[in-house]
Amino acid sequence: MKRGNADVTHPGFEAQLDAYLDGELAAGDARELEVHLAQCPECARFRDGRLELRAAITARVPVFPAPDALRERVRAAVGAARARAPHRFTARGVWRPLALAASLAVVALGSWRLALQRAAGETLADEVLASHIRSLMPGHLTDVLSSDQHTVKPWFNGRLDFSPPVYDFSARGYPLLGGRLDYVDGRDVAALVYGRRQHLINVFLWPSARGPAAAPATRTQQGYHLLHWTTADYTCWVVSDLGLAEFQDFAQLMRQADSTGSGRRGAAGLR
Amino acid sequence: MESSELARFEAVVLPHLDAAYTLARYLTRNEHDAEDVVQDACLRALKYFDGFRGEEGTSARAWLLAIVRNTAFSSRRRQRPDAVVFEFDEAQHSGSVADEHPEAALLRGAAKESLGRALDRLAPEFREVIVLRELEGLSYKEIGDVAGVPVGTVMSRLSRARTRLQQALREEGER
Repeated sequence: MKRGNADVTHPGFEAQLDAYLDGELAAGDARELEVHLAQCPECARFRDGRLELRAAITARVPVFPAPDALRERVRAAVGAARARAPHRFTARGVWRPLALAASLAVVALGSWRLALQRAAGETLADEVLASHIRSLMPGHLTDVLSSDQHTVKPWFNGRLDFSPPVYDFSARGYPLLGGRLDYVDGRDVAALVYGRRQHLINVFLWPSARGPAAAPATRTQQGYHLLHWTTADYTCWVVSDLGLAEFQDFAQLMRQADSTGSGRRGAAGLR
Repeated sequence: MESSELARFEAVVLPHLDAAYTLARYLTRNEHDAEDVVQDACLRALKYFDGFRGEEGTSARAWLLAIVRNTAFSSRRRQRPDAVVFEFDEAQHSGSVADEHPEAALLRGAAKESLGRALDRLAPEFREVIVLRELEGLSYKEIGDVAGVPVGTVMSRLSRARTRLQQALREEGER
């Protein structure tokens, strides 16, 4: 990784930085790059320029909904084609429609200012959302950058008065990216970061006050989904700009891991 | 059976019609052409639907977008056979990210351009990676599948396209 002159002139490196910002870099490379970014003002400037561009695209380059007339035309054309050649269809049960929400996969960095303007502590949800958005700003995402749960979990030792459950869902498409300390609800909390393509998922965890476990409740705010629940051990908030279907899928994994892992990890959530 | 097949096709393809139309709009730069391309693409999709089983790695969205992309490029080639670099040669064309005649660029001279116009003016191979990434949210792998190029090429095209757009953004700021 080399440094350029006033203008960043190493195209290979630019592409790598782009891949990093797109969440397409392997964890090891990403870590190396973050170290470099912290030391190299030129590359940091380059990154900031890219983030500006991303915000500008989000704000100003529109998505075009298909006109209703087109929708009708397509339906009609498909119907007519089928009438002409019905034999083209054969049964195939393998397929199930993907329930992928048509989420615009652009991290809405543009909205962080808005969120930060909110007075701190308006409500817990606002606070959690502001933390999430702040974490998307360059250099704020992770204190410990690792996809290894056995690296991330011990990192919290001595930093928190509890040991948060850390899972690895990479086999399910939600790789662990790292963790950091955060401050929510007037206390230090564990924030775990998971990824899904270029979407980021923040999981905030802290020991729950004594009280009944609370069932999950979802809300949507400024285009982000938030879900929280309380178990006997801790309170958990999940935030992301993922499409709702994937978001719920992830939350489901978390909750399942909690209940199945309660003997090994979940119950050890509190020391 | 037939109608259930049709229903299945509609359930798989129609949810991605907005994505298809958006890509078509940016590739054709024209709403009427975009509608034609999407309709054409849906008919092609219907034809190849048997071959698509949505197994791991291929989302219905990326699959449909690939068809839209190819439909847009081939219709463009039909209409303006000399205007399109269909078989894009990275080495040969690496000098220019812009999709315009050198003279037009000269005439444009120092005229500053907006972000939207800058995107429209990118060569289609660069424009499509921006749209697929920033607006459709595909992974590099999916973009590679749609555009029929290796992931490394996706990476370099995306990076160069962004640099070009950033330049336009800077010029806007200077105005």
